[in-house]
Amino acid sequence: MKVKVKHWHAVASWRWDTGKEEEEDEEADICGICRAEFEACCPLCKTPGDDCPLIYGECTHVFHMHCMLKWLERPSSKQQCPMDRREWKVAGSGT
Amino acid sequence: MATSALRTQVSVKYAESLEKLLAADKEKRLNPGLLNYSQALTLASEYLRPYDIKDRAAMMRPRTAFNINDVRTAFAMVHFSHQLPALTEIFLEDMRKSFHLIEYEINAYMTRYEETKNLELFRMLVSRLHDWFKAWHPPTECASPDSPSQTHTDVIPPSLSSFFSGTYTLSFQTRLFAALPPSFARGFKALASWCLAPEDYPPMVSASGAPIKIDAVWTEFEKLGLIERYESVISSVAYEHIERRIEETCPNNWAAPMLPEIREWMTQKVVPWMLKIFTHGVTSRHDTQSLLTGIGARFDFHVNKVLCDLRIKEIFNIIVDYPDSLGALQDLKETLQRVDQRGDLVKFLRKENNKRLLHPGADTQTILQQYVSTIKCLRIVDPPGVLLYKVANPIRQYLRERPDTIRCIVGSLVGDDENGDSLVDDDEPIQPLQQPESEDYGDLEWNPEPIDAGPEFKTNKPSDVISTLVSIYDSKDLFVKELQVLLAQRLLAIDDNDTARVDKERRNIEILKIRFGDAALQVCAVMLKDMTDSKRTDDHIQGQTPSVVHPTVISHHFWPTLDQSDIVMPGQFQQLQEDYAKEFSVFKPDKKLKWLPHLGTVHLELELQDRTLDVDVPPLEAAFIELFSRQDTWALEELIKAVGNVDRSSAVKALSTWTNMGVIKEQNENTFVLLEQAEDGAEMWEMAPIQAAPSLPPVQTMQQVEAEQMRVHWKFIEGMLTNLGSLSVDRIQTMLRFSPNYDKTAEQLGYFLEAARREGLLVVQNGMWRLNK
Repeated sequence: MKVKVKHWHAVASWRWDTGKEEEEDEEADICGICRAEFEACCPLCKTPGDDCPLIYGECTHVFHMHCMLKWLERPSSKQQCPMDRREWKVAGSGT
Repeated sequence: MATSALRTQVSVKYAESLEKLLAADKEKRLNPGLLNYSQALTLASEYLRPYDIKDRAAMMRPRTAFNINDVRTAFAMVHFSHQLPALTEIFLEDMRKSFHLIEYEINAYMTRYEETKNLELFRMLVSRLHDWFKAWHPPTECASPDSPSQTHTDVIPPSLSSFFSGTYTLSFQTRLFAALPPSFARGFKALASWCLAPEDYPPMVSASGAPIKIDAVWTEFEKLGLIERYESVISSVAYEHIERRIEETCPNNWAAPMLPEIREWMTQKVVPWMLKIFTHGVTSRHDTQSLLTGIGARFDFHVNKVLCDLRIKEIFNIIVDYPDSLGALQDLKETLQRVDQRGDLVKFLRKENNKRLLHPGADTQTILQQYVSTIKCLRIVDPPGVLLYKVANPIRQYLRERPDTIRCIVGSLVGDDENGDSLVDDDEPIQPLQQPESEDYGDLEWNPEPIDAGPEFKTNKPSDVISTLVSIYDSKDLFVKELQVLLAQRLLAIDDNDTARVDKERRNIEILKIRFGDAALQVCAVMLKDMTDSKRTDDHIQGQTPSVVHPTVISHHFWPTLDQSDIVMPGQFQQLQEDYAKEFSVFKPDKKLKWLPHLGTVHLELELQDRTLDVDVPPLEAAFIELFSRQDTWALEELIKAVGNVDRSSAVKALSTWTNMGVIKEQNENTFVLLEQAEDGAEMWEMAPIQAAPSLPPVQTMQQVEAEQMRVHWKFIEGMLTNLGSLSVDRIQTMLRFSPNYDKTAEQLGYFLEAARREGLLVVQNGMWRLNK
């Protein structure tokens, strides 16, 4: 018998590729600044996904881009990563 | 003639007055007539004496036997000598003595009437009574009965005659009423009914063969004074007639208002009859008017009352029949304004609702439908909404207890193909959901609440149906959550990114946004955005690398919890998945896909040895059949292992789908074999694509979600109680609040603890909870 798939309407959910293999039953990762899931959006946005992307730091900490930008605008941030106080550099940005 | 007592009295008085006269009258003017006084008295009383009218000979005798002039003089003398009271007394005494004649006749007639119930007899009795009355009447004319044309009013001066007549009538009537037996009232009623509606009775003809005139009957009634006495009887006749009429014409006749019709019938039939009775003898127009308005108002009231009662009894069915029963509602509204039956209506409707609507046998959808109809109907009948408020409360309570109410309401809010006519009128203008407003003290049009409103009644209640429905529950949140679940189910069921259906859902959501507000439905907006995004993504990827896979990509945080599943799709499915996932990551570098393999549908073409099947099946079935393509025979456990641990019941169900299609067969216990060649009896499955029983995607309902959460929290509670012994509800609540995802109130925690106690997991003592050893 041959089984030919004509059309498969499947369902999948998208996840941010944070480079970490998550296990099945764990709570999804949350943004360190707004404490919301990555797959949810930051408090300022209404829709998740491409409109509210993530930003990766060289220290391997990940945040919502909007959250991070707002953090960086504050003088108290001193351009440091809020988790480990290292100087904030976007991963893969070169120098 | 006179008793001895009277004789003595007369002689004493005679002597007295003689003295007086002799003393007063110096000129002796009346001298010759003194002795004539007694003669005059005798003559007059003899003239007046009641006689037996049956005795025809006697009837002729009295009046004609007397010389008219003599009588006149006699009366003049009596009057002059102030003997009139004495004369009156004599006359009345005579009447009393002779009354037995009348009584005899009455009894004779009545016994015959009671036996035969022949109305004619009764009417004749009344005629006879009238004849007696006329005969004994002190003559204002001194003409004899057979020459009624002569009228001499100067036999007795007019004022005296009216005095006489009045006294006589009073006395006669008193005796007459005393003599009438109880059945007279019944007979009278029957006769009155006949007068009102002669067509209802067999035609009556008098003894002489001439048809009876109704007017004559009424005249007789009036002369005998029966009308005033039996007024209530007459009214009751009219009432019964009205009731009968309404009974005949109105029940179940709801299309048009019946009230104008009945009023017209009244004007045509009842009012003329009333006129004849009550205004008989009343000459002035003004009096007629006032009499009529009094009585007419009473009858009108009765009409209203009867109609109101009838409609109240039918109110439940009227509501069921809405909107075809608008006429009846109009009737009810008008009559309720005249008649004070609002309390009755409320009581009756509540009882009917309890009996016929609010019981386990009724569908939630039916109850909702009826509730909406009730709202609309009672709004027509009573615009301020007081009645509705009282009637609706039990319904709302009951609906609150039904678990699927929210789903029904939400389903019909969105309502299209599920239920033919949704609860919503799409014509009604869509307004934002109204919140109950506080008192507006600056309102110049303010009026106090209606007088029979309950204590919690507020005039500005939400005026449209949906708001009322939503207000059954105290918060909108439940609705919003249910809406999300419903929307998720429908979106996931959309195959092939069918944009038309997505658009339809979007329209619905837009409408609901107006009602519930933007923020509440943000989640739904995200869901819709997911749908369009997946389509765009899919189009792009198909452009790069065509594939048969067309997934819907969802943002899982914004969708309701979907059942987890561990299925691994075997064989080519696996390959397809991986290929697609790779393409996706290329398209969107920072995202990756996580498949939910138990959701969706697969359209397969199975090429068997002798036939080809086109089928639409859920992925689990597809996985199984893929396995069968590798190997002909499988045991159930092997199958389950091969797809990576699915639960047994789903596996069995999936396999039964294929069995029904005749593709596989159960050989032994739990072993299935592929049928390359169709077996007999399996031929019915033709080329048309077969739908496996479409079940809604396994979105977890609200209850399941709650149950899951409580299970997690139970772990915490158990841990707490083990470590700390016994705790009160408040302490448990405080500590639970630190755990993630906990949003229950203390009350809900209380319920949960109670439930656990019922199952024997906990015990409570003085408000302190402990684990049950």
